Amino acid sequence: MKVLLADDNAERASALARLLAADPRLVVLQLRAGEALADAVAAQAPDIVLADMARPDRDALDGIRQVATHAPRPIVLFADKDDPGFMEAAIGAGVSSYTVPGVPAPDVKPILQAAAALFRRHQQARDGQRLAENPLQEREVIGRAKARLIRKRKLTEPDACRWLRNQAMSRGRRIVDMVAELIRDSKGDAP
Amino acid sequence: MSRPVRIGVLRLVDSAPVMVAAERGLFAACGLDAIVQVEPSWSNIADKLTYGLLDAAVMLPPLAFAATMGLRGPAARLVVPMSLTQGGNMVVLNNDAATGVASSGGLLAWLSGQSDRPRFAVVHTFSTHNLLLRYWLAASGVDPDRDIETLVIPPEDMVKALGAGQIAGFCAGAPWGDVAAACGAGQVLLGTSAIWPHHPEKCLAVGAGWAETNPDALVLLTRALLQAQILCDRADTAPEIATLLAQPDGLDLPEVATLAALPGRNSAEQICFHARSAWFPAQAHALWFLGQMRRWGWVGDDADLPEVARTVYRPDLLGPALAAEGILSPQGLPALEEEVWLPSEPTSGP
Repeated sequence: MKVLLADDNAERASALARLLAADPRLVVLQLRAGEALADAVAAQAPDIVLADMARPDRDALDGIRQVATHAPRPIVLFADKDDPGFMEAAIGAGVSSYTVPGVPAPDVKPILQAAAALFRRHQQARDGQRLAENPLQEREVIGRAKARLIRKRKLTEPDACRWLRNQAMSRGRRIVDMVAELIRDSKGDAP
Repeated sequence: MSRPVRIGVLRLVDSAPVMVAAERGLFAACGLDAIVQVEPSWSNIADKLTYGLLDAAVMLPPLAFAATMGLRGPAARLVVPMSLTQGGNMVVLNNDAATGVASSGGLLAWLSGQSDRPRFAVVHTFSTHNLLLRYWLAASGVDPDRDIETLVIPPEDMVKALGAGQIAGFCAGAPWGDVAAACGAGQVLLGTSAIWPHHPEKCLAVGAGWAETNPDALVLLTRALLQAQILCDRADTAPEIATLLAQPDGLDLPEVATLAALPGRNSAEQICFHARSAWFPAQAHALWFLGQMRRWGWVGDDADLPEVARTVYRPDLLGPALAAEGILSPQGLPALEEEVWLPSEPTSGP
């Protein structure tokens, strides 16, 4: 069975490739840097695609006909109908799986399970590392973010705290990690 | 209510009602605790709605139908209590194609002179953009399955692909058409309102399970969004709204092109949020989208399209919010079906 990994995080993709390659029944393929997801599916004709949900180009896989005109086989989002909680966990971890109709679900599930576990560990490790890098700065970072919210959005302090807490909860992140990310994403425009 | 309502949006001007309701405190003023999540793709929105990781989202109507009918994977249970916007997309050609179309005397003549099928990009297969582009091409005598190649490219990557010559043209929502024209990557051929005046664009999709267990929250959500739509439609608030949508820790949209797409501004194609009952999720709209999906062979003949339309498009769920906001008495909803605009061309096969 051919598994195509679509993950721009090179470290995580190699870890997952090594993990899956231990199963002799699997041929593990990786998306090349800059290669379009739809092109890779057309060229490689994988049975399973594991895609990082943070990819904006994942939409290219959603049109069954669109993919089918390039590749002889359509690809649809994998669903474990008996275990919706498992699918929810995989999506929560940030990984989705596409399959060719006809690929049996019992073969897909452990592969997606392994990917979801790896994605989750990776996210936790990244959060932990970020915190370890700034053990004493946590309170200061949050304080600066709060001050910025109070200033820029005219929030009261409790509202600013609540905003940060809600944002962190919705992203499944710790407040300090989310704030660090926001600061980085705003291109150095620190609070 | 035990936890906040999670609402998904994409980086598009059409997300304005949700962003305005969140940032201007309209959700809070209604007593609704809401969290806005910016998602990278329509697939994420559809998957998270399907598995309950989002409660509501700004959505493409054809994708809501595709998800409900199981065309992209597991069948989802979604309802659309309201529409959010009308118009706002542009068909853009790269400079070579624009020159070619002009000098050959039209799109059909230019296409027939191409040895390779020109590539056109849309934002999603199951998008309003794809259906409107295909409808317009077919009305011009072009067979979109034979004469062009259709690609799916994320909205924010369209301009780069156009400039790099990877695609001959695209159909995408604001602000990306104006951004392409402003940076010289291409030329705007037409706005999608020229294809279908006042066409419905984005809708609010809600997980049916969430709607059933949180009927009160659904009324608060739709009330806040009706209020936000009215604010978004006012020409005098447009600069503030553009600034809000350009915030780096929010949608981070290019501010000038975003402002241009807002009502009363200078883009060739403008978004309407409230006027002409833009909030009304008409059965006629649903049936037009579903009819086009069947036209292109995406939906089998066995699907009961009127039943799908009735199940997903639920103006009755908007009734309490319309009454509470003093916009319309729920008894007035059926009459709105009679006022719906539909495109003029016949919708039979090419």
